Amino acid sequence: MVNAGTYDLPRFINREFTQGADCQDMNRLAHDELMELRSELLRVTASLVESIPRATQILLDQDLEGAEYQILADDEMDSRTLDLEDRCVTLMALHAPVASELRHAVTIMKMSADIERSADLVVNICKVARRIHGMPLDPKMRGLIGRMGTQAQILFRHAIQAYADLDLPMAKAVDDMDLFLDYLHRQFIESIFESHSAGTIDLPVAIQMAVTARFFERIGDHAVNVAHYVQYLITGEIPPAGDHRRGGRLSDSTDEIEGLPA
Amino acid sequence: MANESNESPVFAVKELSVKYGEFRAVRDVTLDIREHEITAFIGPSGCGKTTVLRCLNRMNDFIDSAKVEGLIEYHGVDLYDSDVNPNEVRRRIGMVFQKPNPFPKSIFDNVAYGPRLVGKMSKSDLNDLVEKSLRRAALWDEVKDRLKASALGLSGGQQQRLCIARCIAVEPDVILMDEPCSALDPIATTRIEDLMQEIKKDYTIIIVTHNMQQAARVSDRTAFFTTEVNTQSDRRTGVMVEFDLTQKIFSVPSDERTEAYVTGRFG
Repeated sequence: MVNAGTYDLPRFINREFTQGADCQDMNRLAHDELMELRSELLRVTASLVESIPRATQILLDQDLEGAEYQILADDEMDSRTLDLEDRCVTLMALHAPVASELRHAVTIMKMSADIERSADLVVNICKVARRIHGMPLDPKMRGLIGRMGTQAQILFRHAIQAYADLDLPMAKAVDDMDLFLDYLHRQFIESIFESHSAGTIDLPVAIQMAVTARFFERIGDHAVNVAHYVQYLITGEIPPAGDHRRGGRLSDSTDEIEGLPA
Repeated sequence: MANESNESPVFAVKELSVKYGEFRAVRDVTLDIREHEITAFIGPSGCGKTTVLRCLNRMNDFIDSAKVEGLIEYHGVDLYDSDVNPNEVRRRIGMVFQKPNPFPKSIFDNVAYGPRLVGKMSKSDLNDLVEKSLRRAALWDEVKDRLKASALGLSGGQQQRLCIARCIAVEPDVILMDEPCSALDPIATTRIEDLMQEIKKDYTIIIVTHNMQQAARVSDRTAFFTTEVNTQSDRRTGVMVEFDLTQKIFSVPSDERTEAYVTGRFG
């Protein structure tokens, strides 16, 4: 049973419920900490969302200095997400949250892991910029990289916006947005094959491009996970993994790319 | 709802209301208690959970002003029917109280008290029954060498387990527990909780507790009660807000009053 709409959950999450004059908050320490964890998660995710187009531009410009900066910045992302997870464990150990607070603590913990992984993928994209330094990319591929970067960012922005606003329809929409990213991923792989046939791409670049496409596609999957945990926070149910793919509209076989093993 | 079974419930409570004189303590409680499950009643003081519990073995009969309305069916029989013998009700539906209340007698006599009242038994049968009951209550090993000693010499936790042994010696069907651990330390509490899990395969247990984590730990289903204030008379009346699987009450409650209470906001 889905409880969304049964009562006004955002009032609890935003602690408006405790603002009434006749309402006492017996667990204020825990509630304050949860609010802080939420703010910190939003800040960390904002950094991630900003870094996705930056990494795309670094790759397209083969900007070695920018790549270096972005790679170093990952240490901070790692420590902040780790700190979030630690604080969630502490919150659970000391305050034994239940109901929406239990779901919220679990959600923050799981989201932190997805955000940390996504930040690593951003770093991976920057490392590709180093590896293909000095090797030209053909215009079609450049265009597709730009579109994948944009779409990956849109996914994450919507997933985290859904969390900030506790917006269930928006969280669900992220699944559909991911279908488009998967579609771009396939197009990108096809364009690598085309360039290969036309003899305009070297094998090392082709390999780097194939993994880059995968990195963007994976960032999208992490955004989908984040959106799924937003749904869990609101309804208490996690959508089954890969469920949205079965209803895929952009292709019949989203996971399989012609010429590549699934 | 998960785990829905077609078996008839042990108790079917329908629109139960209890008044003490003119004061309505609790109203419109409807719930089914299932066999071999532990059902917990939680809620703030004065929400009527103990009142409802006491209705289930007609303990409220002893309070002159108490008036029970609605229907309580026990295995399909109206518990408050005039043909029903309240003593038989209380033999089948035992009760363990908040404060351990052993009789000022020996450990053996405490457990043997009920069986002696119920019927004649041979000495050896009685010995067997006392041992069996104490074993089931996980107390035998601690007291087997001093069965003739006074029960009042036992620790609080031991006394409470003795009360459980005394309760199960008459082979009841249901055990009602009214905050059985609130006077006990954490270790004694854990032993009682383990014991509840142990014996639930033989009995149906209903527990009233102020300790929400205890309800979460031990029960299969939880009923949450709260109070409603009548603005005209400023009187508080208990109501049952939500009754569901315990796992659901503590992870995805469906009523905002439950959410508020279990997360520590109240008012």
